[in-house]
Amino acid sequence: MQREVGSLPLAPALRARLAAAGFQTAQELLETGPCGLSKEIGISKEEALEALQVVRQECHGDAARTAGGSGATRKFTALELLEEEQAQGFIITFCSALDNILGGGVQLTKITEVCGAPGVGKTQLCMQLAVDVQIPECFGGVAGEAVFIDTEGSFMVDRVVDIAAACVQHCQLIAEAQQEEDHLKALETFSLESILSHIYYFRCRDYIELLAQVYLLPEFLSEHSRVRLVVIDGIAFPFRHDFEDLSLRTRLLNGLAQQLIMVANDHKAAVVLTNQMTTRIGQSQSTLVPALGESWGHAATVRVIFHWDNSQRLATLYKSPSQKEATIPYHITPHGFRDVQPPAVTQKAEGTEMNPRKRPRREEEEKQQQFQS
Amino acid sequence: MDWDQFDLNPRTVAALKKADIKSVKEILNLSGADLQRLMKLSSADIQCLLKTVSLTLRRNSMVTALQLYQDNDNLTSQRQKLSLGCSVLDNLLKGGIPLVGITELAGESSAGKTQISLQLCLCVQYPYKYGGLESGAVYICTEDAFPSKRLQQLIGQQHKLRADVPAEIIQKIKFGNSIFVEHAADLDTFHKCITTRLSLLLARGMVRLVVIDSIAALFRCEFGASESVMKARYLQTFGAQLHSLSTRFRTPIMCINQVTDAVSELEAAQCSCRVVGNRVVPALGITWANQLLMRLMASRISLPGQASGVASHCTGSVRTLRVVFAPHLPPSSCYYTVQLEGVKGIK
Repeated sequence: MQREVGSLPLAPALRARLAAAGFQTAQELLETGPCGLSKEIGISKEEALEALQVVRQECHGDAARTAGGSGATRKFTALELLEEEQAQGFIITFCSALDNILGGGVQLTKITEVCGAPGVGKTQLCMQLAVDVQIPECFGGVAGEAVFIDTEGSFMVDRVVDIAAACVQHCQLIAEAQQEEDHLKALETFSLESILSHIYYFRCRDYIELLAQVYLLPEFLSEHSRVRLVVIDGIAFPFRHDFEDLSLRTRLLNGLAQQLIMVANDHKAAVVLTNQMTTRIGQSQSTLVPALGESWGHAATVRVIFHWDNSQRLATLYKSPSQKEATIPYHITPHGFRDVQPPAVTQKAEGTEMNPRKRPRREEEEKQQQFQS
Repeated sequence: MDWDQFDLNPRTVAALKKADIKSVKEILNLSGADLQRLMKLSSADIQCLLKTVSLTLRRNSMVTALQLYQDNDNLTSQRQKLSLGCSVLDNLLKGGIPLVGITELAGESSAGKTQISLQLCLCVQYPYKYGGLESGAVYICTEDAFPSKRLQQLIGQQHKLRADVPAEIIQKIKFGNSIFVEHAADLDTFHKCITTRLSLLLARGMVRLVVIDSIAALFRCEFGASESVMKARYLQTFGAQLHSLSTRFRTPIMCINQVTDAVSELEAAQCSCRVVGNRVVPALGITWANQLLMRLMASRISLPGQASGVASHCTGSVRTLRVVFAPHLPPSSCYYTVQLEGVKGIK
């Protein structure tokens, strides 16, 4: 309220007149009122009203800032940010190697992009995450719900049932081994039906429906405040045809990315997007690169690329602000997304790798290895 | 566009009409700042407009996974699939071909792709109880003539293939009447066929299966190596149109594809054809593969180590049907033979 008149965002001519009339602080202006002001400096009543409105807004903004209230401008120290980040939850993927290179799992409040050729396991990872986000806190999860936006129609609920059943069984084994009160209590509400009922599924058939759905996300997440994961399976599919004007596409994608960042931050949710691969024809050879262009590469905070090496699936961490680049192998089993077993154990399993349904005995060992640290 | 049907402020409606904005698509294509400038409204009004328009477009669009799981209605259930007419093959695919999405069947010549497609055209006409969709099929030929003689043979032998269906039901179905054959040898004819003829047949409910034999033939001669961008654009457009028809009418689209030799290990690895010694990859590359829900591969090579017992009593014509990728199936395979009555799997 004690702001000097010279520092207020008014027209220079007006400021000069105010100074000449002897006004020094914003408080004096507000006390005078519009009629008095217009008489003193010789401006019309409308102009005086407008000027006072500006002054009032500025003073409100100052007050909010000093009180440290909510709004766009809040001050943090780096230490506070570090503590907040470390307390942030991760959504585990059940593949400990992948969780390790990601720094603990898929991080909340960040956008993670998964790229890969068709059939490599992107949708499988998304389905796994939609189940894993619901793991109760006593088992090391974030106890959240999931929003699944499907643009390609590849969400097969029977597969999600398999993955969810395996996850529940895994938690039951841990509870049996550790025999703790809160584990057993959490298991009462962590069942197949409850997992399925907390995955909110939206089917978007073209980019207009996708844009509309993302406009509605903030409200949906405010109503369903336990949602901690938003998956968009197939961000590339609706944007890769139907666009004569690529600059429109870039603008729409940028807008989409901005909205998703806001959603991730405001609602403490992880956003996971899957992208396709396209061929970039170089001078002597062609390589596979993520689709949607170079500018889209800036949208996601973390980028993981899935690819093949002969018959082994690999995941490479391509872009991350805090983890270093690394490549790990992973496996898709009937129970979902898993680690690759170490070589000593897989001697017997190599021959049956083509038909993973025939590995009942190894599942027990696999489960032992997946204990949450 | 009648803006009055939306729940909008009259001032906003007037501004929309004055700015000559005719569709929801235009509104969502413009940025917030552009909309403010065009309609001369405040940013709060624009936010309200965007929310209202989005809500109207996406009203009632949420389902939970539990509702999807418990849905057993013939018309909407995900569990509803198109049977292949043979229990062994259906087991491989956990029920059959999914109803929404493009399924590809790739393989070398004379692997049995056309046989499987013809069989599907007959299977789709059976009642829901027997794995069909009670409707006809469209068969789009892009290179060879339609094998009508073979179709007549198969029709005659349906009672032998489908022993699970009572004879009176088979006799009642007029198989030949519900198969619509189209010929489209070049891209423009194909485009016209999809956009006009196909959507008409689908809208009238006369067909619920589309077979394209083969998609690769349309692209092989017309595009040289330097026109790959053009080719990719056509593939994406066709893929999107087929996908949209499939979603709107819940109709499976079966595309037959040819194979080419894998030039390098990298290429073979990229398309996830992981059988050792298999040096062929489906044609049309990753651009087409991105449009698919499911890819099946038919071949005459039997898998090593498991064929000896099987092949001994079926001389010379054992084929393999392999799931290359699908969101709900593990990579697996089974054997089949092509006999007079059709394609039958071998346990």
